[in-house]
Amino acid sequence: MYLVFAIRRILNAMAIFVIEMLIFSVLFTATAERTLRAQIEESLQPEAARLKNASALQVQAFVAQRRAYLFHVSHLDQPVPVRVLWRAIDAVTLQFGNSITIKSSRGERSVWRIIMETVPRTALLFTTSIVLQVLLGVWLGLKQAQRAGGTLDRSASVITMVVYGLPTWWVAMIVIMVLAYMLPLFPSGGMHSIPPPQGLAGILDLAWHMVLPVVTLVIVSFWGVALLARNIVLSILQEDYITAARARGLPERTVLFGHAMRAAAPPLTTIAILSLLTSVFGNIIFEGIFSWPGMGNLYWISIEQGDTPVTLGLLAVTTGLYIAGLAMLDLIYGLLDPRIKTGASA
Amino acid sequence: MSGVEVPRNRRPEDHRAPRPPARPWLRDLFSELGREPAGVAGFFMLALFLAGAVFEKRLVTFPETSSRWHDITYWDEQPASAPPVWTNAFAARKSAVSLVLGPSLSSRETSDAARLVTTVFTYPYPYDLPPRDLVVHFRGTGEIPVAITLTRPDGAEITLDQEQVSAGSGMDVRISIDKSAGQAAMGLLQGSESADAMAAVDVDRIRPTTVLFSQAGPGMLARPQALKGAYKLTLLAVLPTAAAEVSDPRLVVTGRVNGLLGTDNSKRDLWSGLIAGIKWALLIGLLTAFVSVAIGVVWGVTAAYFGGPVNWVMQRIFEIFSNQPVLPLLIVISAIFKPSIWFLIVIMSVFFWTGPVKTVYAMALSIREETYIEASRALGAGSARLIFRHMVPLLIPYAFASMALSVPGAVVYESTVSLLGLGDATIVTWGQILHDAFTGGAVLGGLWWWVVPPGLIIALMGMTFSFIGFAMDRILHPKLRTR
Repeated sequence: MYLVFAIRRILNAMAIFVIEMLIFSVLFTATAERTLRAQIEESLQPEAARLKNASALQVQAFVAQRRAYLFHVSHLDQPVPVRVLWRAIDAVTLQFGNSITIKSSRGERSVWRIIMETVPRTALLFTTSIVLQVLLGVWLGLKQAQRAGGTLDRSASVITMVVYGLPTWWVAMIVIMVLAYMLPLFPSGGMHSIPPPQGLAGILDLAWHMVLPVVTLVIVSFWGVALLARNIVLSILQEDYITAARARGLPERTVLFGHAMRAAAPPLTTIAILSLLTSVFGNIIFEGIFSWPGMGNLYWISIEQGDTPVTLGLLAVTTGLYIAGLAMLDLIYGLLDPRIKTGASA
Repeated sequence: MSGVEVPRNRRPEDHRAPRPPARPWLRDLFSELGREPAGVAGFFMLALFLAGAVFEKRLVTFPETSSRWHDITYWDEQPASAPPVWTNAFAARKSAVSLVLGPSLSSRETSDAARLVTTVFTYPYPYDLPPRDLVVHFRGTGEIPVAITLTRPDGAEITLDQEQVSAGSGMDVRISIDKSAGQAAMGLLQGSESADAMAAVDVDRIRPTTVLFSQAGPGMLARPQALKGAYKLTLLAVLPTAAAEVSDPRLVVTGRVNGLLGTDNSKRDLWSGLIAGIKWALLIGLLTAFVSVAIGVVWGVTAAYFGGPVNWVMQRIFEIFSNQPVLPLLIVISAIFKPSIWFLIVIMSVFFWTGPVKTVYAMALSIREETYIEASRALGAGSARLIFRHMVPLLIPYAFASMALSVPGAVVYESTVSLLGLGDATIVTWGQILHDAFTGGAVLGGLWWWVVPPGLIIALMGMTFSFIGFAMDRILHPKLRTR
């Protein structure tokens, strides 16, 4: 039963990815092809220069032939709808071509390699902060729900509202200005010192560079997690079986952790994963402020340098990761809460 | 808020209990909001923002801020990267404030064929740090020889500049002391400093205002001490022909501190920029929230109402939109199509509508089963009437809360797109100011007046609507209310 549910959900996610790639392809084919044509023309020049003993006419004929060949290989000689389809197929099969100027740390021009290099760095930064966010948020939410209406609950609610529309990247700017410039306690950006230290010192150095971005993300975002956790736990605490448990004289700890938290686990897991997803994809730009060399920073660089293949590749990868994340969320939720499986992906 | 309005067109044979019409319910929502402190605070702040947008012309220091933010020439008289005026209150050494002086004395006399126009400006100077520049402005016509002299509080009279100005008809003439009084400043230095000290001075390197506003004497170059008191600047213009004319003279003092919130490195007044940004933030937030929530509510209700294949198709389309991370797509679309602010609002609406759909769908499913829906259908009401007249109104309170809560998102997303330098270059938004600040090195240069206020006002705008939205949310979900 779970297997059927899982397969359905995965197929559904794949279908969504394909459709979105098609939509992107419709939107961006013109831009992508302009770059592609320019890249082909550029690659033709050195080839033509290599023909030393050829007449001008021969060179022209050769260039024309090569151009026709390269256009054919990239399907540029097809009618527009077919080209749109081919661009979508390229995206689905993760063939993003080569970048214009950006290179990976190994000097590669492949867009896929450039992006894949940044994904683990983004994952490192955001997973660390999410773990802290969820721990702090659930703890605070639980405290709030226990004494709903108390001082802690009310002040935490006010702070949640205050930070609701706060751009994380602006908080990052302030944090850098104060803690990296005015009081030079932490590095203003980057992932490690130059030259990067080796071994244990390297790990400590990395941690030192992670302090400011992680703290910024956590202090802005964990209030939201706390609010959701509070609401979930509070609505469970109002259930009859909790009253029954309390009436039986069970200690409050048992009621809270044995009864309430067990029921709250699936929605809390959803929150954890969902906040990871929204945090990564809603704060993508945040990395650029700290020059953290992840996907968000790559968005900045590729847009500043007008490197369209990288930008479009990034969008496809980001979308793919997001869709996969949401699917993963449903799969885990299905494991934790068997009722969900029957509702499948309806 | 009391009682239920009886619809005027009710037919006498209709014996059903009156359905609570939507409007009193909405009125209940707003009257309950009046009892939520957060709601009251939210509406108060919203009123402030609306007032800021309405009275923009009166609040800004520069009336054309909104249309000429990106026009560098408009901001020429301002100091670059100057802190706010009120920082003087906390500074040990007070800086000269920017201001515009009218003539304190003007006279005209005729000698031979030429007319002489004398204009005197009195500049009281109680500060420790001199202004960056003094700029004499007037409207001139024809070829006019002018001379500018400065009388210092210590009695010294210095000719700063003598030149022949050629102006078109009523053209604005601008004479900068910083650019033209280098020699005069050298003359003042020579009177006080030793020959040794003078040998090291480069006329192009000294700031004339620093010298002119310092006490004369040895060491005035290395450790200038401010000479406080009233300075008199005299503009003498000779009008050789009958056609020549000088009018509307004024003295612009380019200070070291400027305006309520200082200036950026392009000399723009940040206070004016922030005020001019209010209307755009409100427009972006409210319009995006309204359009997207309206689509979302109607979408959810329609899907729930029809069920079956219509629901299936609508749910699949919903999935495609809700599985799309909005911000990255918004950024890429902005980078490639360079959209105007209106197009950006459309794109945001197209992706924001998925927010309320799931909740609305669940609520609409239960509303669909209500007996009055069945009764209405039995009376022959069509789908459109059922959806828009009987189902959607019940969701309006929820829609209001949802709208309020999606305003901050829209404002922050626009700011984020602008932060990347992809904003609409014909307007000024807070995100654009922050983009300029970030690329202009304000963060690492510690120009806090350029970084803090724009983000703070974005946060305040977000707070306004989150206060309202959360207050509504609490009213609509009584179960989560505090015991």
